[in-house]
Amino acid sequence: MRHIAILILLLILPFASFAQNVTIKAVNQPAAVVFRSILEQTGKNFVYSSDLLKNMTITVNANKQPLKKVLSNIFKNTDIEYTIKGNNVILKKKKEKRKNITVAPATPPKIKTAITTIDTVKMLDEIIVLSRLEAPAVETSEMGARKITVEELSNVPMVFGESDVIKALQMQPGVSDGTEGMAGMHVHGGNSDENLFSLDNVPLYQVNHFLGLFSAFNTDIIRYIDFFKTSVPAKYDGRLSSFMDVRLRNGYTKGHHGSAKLGLTSGAFNISGPMGKNTTYLAGLRRSWYDVLSIPILAIANSQHEEEKIRFRYAFMDFNAKVTHRFSSKMTGFISGYYGNDLLKTGTEDSKQYSTNWYGFDKFDLTWGNLVVQAGLNYRINPKLSGEFTAAYTRYFSNMKYKSIYNEDSNDITTTTQIRNKTDNNINDWIFRGDFDWTLSDNSQVRFGANYIRHSFLPERTKKEYRFNDETISSRDSTTSYGGNELNAYIEDDWQISGRFRANAGLHGSLFYLQGKTHGGISPRLSLSFRLNNNFTVKGAYTHTIQYVHQLAMTYLSLPTDQWIPITGKFKPQTADKVALGGYWQSDNEAFAVSVEGYLKRIHNLVDYRDEYYLKPPLDFWEARLTSGKGSARGVDVMIEKKTGKLTGHIGYSLAWVDRQFKDKNGGLPYPARFDNRHTINVVVNWNVNDKVTLNAAWTGHSGNRYTLLPQMWEGAEFGQLYNSVDDVPLKAKVNNYQLPFYHRLDLACNVKNKHGFWTFSLYNAYNHMNTVAVVRGEKEVVKYKPGEIIHTYQPRFQKLKLIPIIPSISYTWQF
Amino acid sequence: MNHLVKQFIMTIKTSVKNSIIDLNIFLKNNLLKNLILRYIFSLFIPFILTGCYESFTPDIETEPVLCLNCLITAGEPIKVDVTHTWLYTDMAGAENHSVKDAVIRVIVNDEEKDSEYLPKDGDRIRIEADSPTYGHAEAEVTVPHAVPIQNVRWTPVITSTWRDDRDGYWAVNAQYYFNINIEMEINDPDVKENYYRFSALSFNSTPSEPDIDDTGIITENYDEDDAFLSSGYWKSDFYMGSMEYDAEPLFSEHIGVFESVMIGDAYGFTFFTDRQFSGSKYPLHLNYTDASYFITMKEWDPELMDCGYLLTLHSISKSYYDWANYNWQKEDGPLGDMGDLGLAEPMWAYSNVSTGAGVVAAQSYTTYTLNLREFFESIIKD
Repeated sequence: MRHIAILILLLILPFASFAQNVTIKAVNQPAAVVFRSILEQTGKNFVYSSDLLKNMTITVNANKQPLKKVLSNIFKNTDIEYTIKGNNVILKKKKEKRKNITVAPATPPKIKTAITTIDTVKMLDEIIVLSRLEAPAVETSEMGARKITVEELSNVPMVFGESDVIKALQMQPGVSDGTEGMAGMHVHGGNSDENLFSLDNVPLYQVNHFLGLFSAFNTDIIRYIDFFKTSVPAKYDGRLSSFMDVRLRNGYTKGHHGSAKLGLTSGAFNISGPMGKNTTYLAGLRRSWYDVLSIPILAIANSQHEEEKIRFRYAFMDFNAKVTHRFSSKMTGFISGYYGNDLLKTGTEDSKQYSTNWYGFDKFDLTWGNLVVQAGLNYRINPKLSGEFTAAYTRYFSNMKYKSIYNEDSNDITTTTQIRNKTDNNINDWIFRGDFDWTLSDNSQVRFGANYIRHSFLPERTKKEYRFNDETISSRDSTTSYGGNELNAYIEDDWQISGRFRANAGLHGSLFYLQGKTHGGISPRLSLSFRLNNNFTVKGAYTHTIQYVHQLAMTYLSLPTDQWIPITGKFKPQTADKVALGGYWQSDNEAFAVSVEGYLKRIHNLVDYRDEYYLKPPLDFWEARLTSGKGSARGVDVMIEKKTGKLTGHIGYSLAWVDRQFKDKNGGLPYPARFDNRHTINVVVNWNVNDKVTLNAAWTGHSGNRYTLLPQMWEGAEFGQLYNSVDDVPLKAKVNNYQLPFYHRLDLACNVKNKHGFWTFSLYNAYNHMNTVAVVRGEKEVVKYKPGEIIHTYQPRFQKLKLIPIIPSISYTWQF
Repeated sequence: MNHLVKQFIMTIKTSVKNSIIDLNIFLKNNLLKNLILRYIFSLFIPFILTGCYESFTPDIETEPVLCLNCLITAGEPIKVDVTHTWLYTDMAGAENHSVKDAVIRVIVNDEEKDSEYLPKDGDRIRIEADSPTYGHAEAEVTVPHAVPIQNVRWTPVITSTWRDDRDGYWAVNAQYYFNINIEMEINDPDVKENYYRFSALSFNSTPSEPDIDDTGIITENYDEDDAFLSSGYWKSDFYMGSMEYDAEPLFSEHIGVFESVMIGDAYGFTFFTDRQFSGSKYPLHLNYTDASYFITMKEWDPELMDCGYLLTLHSISKSYYDWANYNWQKEDGPLGDMGDLGLAEPMWAYSNVSTGAGVVAAQSYTTYTLNLREFFESIIKD
């Protein structure tokens, strides 16, 4: 009971995002202008073919009306019909019901031409960056690619109710979640550092808060995310497993709107609106209240132990701001900034009042996070060519400080001992890039671009100082830093070869210069699709990727001690080759879609900690702790979706085999990777009960993670007397020799709208199945009763550690 | 109604209080020995409090193997402990794991030796053991060359003095407290990686109680009879003080950023390598605080001032260093705790034996006697 009580005190509540109402007033305005205004307010993209809206003007007057109502009014007396799919408003000419398309095999089926961003950009007469994944999977050549909308993010109920980018992606087939509630996203068996998260084209290195419980993205201000896990367009490289292109929305042009969310342990505030005629702003702030909640708990704890007071404070925050200026219909520019950090401040104070001869304090401060500042320009050079230019600075930082000052009174003399340790780890990147879209013809879209990155890596700077009274006895200042230059260029063609064939072929070339050594490589990309009929497409793809930086983490948590390290010394850039084959089906009305993708991935020059790495010297010699090797992953991803109607959702299934082999790990023998989850099933169901109530459910189940268990012990060597006592110690065993039990969990959420906002109620782990997250080497107390005595013995036992029970949460979001 | 509300509030208060006590016990005693790690884990308070354990027996095929433990010291007979491994859950195995049917062979520089053999610096020694029950195990180690201690410099600083011998009854009746900085030079013999251990003992002119060095070793010259005789006529006592391990950076060179953040210091650890002074000289910094010297004598007797430090520099094999390093990482470093908790790869024990169980190590050593007699004479005469 007491456990539940304290849990209720500490729970973090969810926030979710809802579609906005629309306020718009236009008299005979061009359709593109009206659509742009709606896009800015709702995040909905308008997708339509070239000849649909020629010279169309719109008159509309709506004040905080639902989007559907506004659209119905706009197209009421026209021959245009609209459908809302996810984050898209798709416009088509009204037509008779199709009868012959799928039942006339004697003639080639009438294949719909792809409705893609090619047309959208051209017709909107505005320069707006849109997702490249607007069209359904049967119409594109990409494999394992998906546009994640804000709606989808909010439809996945999450731990503490906080909608979360990474947790939403983990519901996709082929993506594993690592350890429950902690950091980790493993795509097709890859490591967490093999995923590239970019925010408006700029990479983020730190994407977690709270040791990995939350991601660093504020979903309230995201417009969409393009996610690639199987075939990867040539634009993206630098990571082996997946790419997340996160795009922020622009500010509203009409009125100032926003929302404020309040939960028990965190809150958020977002606002956006116009700044003059052609300028908009957007700002979002999210912060945890955990430190505020911990104050009374610490007060109670300190009242129990007044002689030694504990100091503890943890908080995370992230702040986004974006100002967009429309110079003309051909050119818009923006400046934006992101700052996210976690801070942990701890310490103790031994009061002189209670300890007359030994008193003082120690303080331990950690700060880690990411800063991004950028300026961008979107420019339509001519009707067929547009460009996006970005200059950015991104900085990952981690600072750790320890300070201890203790006094000892002895024989009228007070001696003071001071210890100061400071450690920094950071990466500073200056990025300059240009990306171009060139409509070569109605059937060919060429994308090309280049970027230069000036890297500055500081894997470690450590200062240690030991002072006794006023004398510095020892100090140490060591710095390991690297400056690097990276150059990338790419070109790709998304080519509709015929009504049935489509191809995306590209090349990405990269050069990475560090310490007098230049690494480089060409990453070819090819994906082909063949549309058998209007409903079914088969695809094949080959992708080669290169990674020059990697993250070293000694634990499964996301800690500030995790270091981003460039490829140096004897190590080579990591590379991966992936081939994939798949089939895609969608129903006539596009309400249902099914995809099956098989893949085979080979990874080369992987870097990992070697066996007993901790015995190798840490300072300046970190390479000695590492070993290189290879890995492979193969499997099948299946996705069944229902996209429209009151009941939507998907079922995902993955069958996978993932293994690793390193020269100096597991005796050089291959072993299953930690996230070699043979079977993974994800089910997401969303039910729009009515205009006010929606229900979301997500069930996930997967084969247990692999784990290294050490079943045998031996008697430790005392060697006379070592510096400390020596216990019995574990015998080495094969890596990942044990599989945890099958993991499963159901999460539920309910959103209830009212006049000014909405409530979110959620249940994490609804049927309270506490999953095993680890195996602990513990002891079980055995009590024996004998006449006159009670005997306590402790029996060594392996114990499954089950951490997270059912977690209810509630939050309220006020919209204005 | 009021009563119910009060009762509810009391229940919450009691729950919070008990939970904190539970957490404190959990963190302090069961799993996490270091303070900083406890703070990090405080972030998981809700989960730790609601978490539960389920005992089970893993189905992993594994067989017991031979374990060899042996520390070879130049000039001393070789003694090998032969045991076998046992299942973690087997309490009987933990209590009795001796092997009585093993045959042991000692091979020095490819030549088998008997049990009387005294190893020398530079010997390449292979220990082999065979048991009909547990199979074969072997390990090889080379006895490192001893490295002399050179150019010892020391600076004492008196922090407190007490004297009561002005009335003439005692020739000297005084107490002195002081700090002392000692520098001793190590001349690393070659550029290949060498490993060392420093240890120190104190010696007293008047044995009164066992002298224990900073690593807990009882001095060899302790004699109970002498101690008894002197108990009624206590004359002098020298306490070597507390070593400040942070004063010598080499003692914490095995601590990386991660460990440094979680732990802070390397209390008690005096093993180090020549990585930062390979093939050259290095002055080892030894800082002792709160050293004390008590003396009571009726007649002037300078021999009572023969007190000081016995400094020892051990040249040790890599296996000895790695074993000590492993123990630090497992017991005092954060990775041991995190591995046990399932938050990091579990740490198996370092071994250089073919079966993966046991450590065969070697050492040789040199000593230097730092006698403080002149220092004590000078301050007493002041």
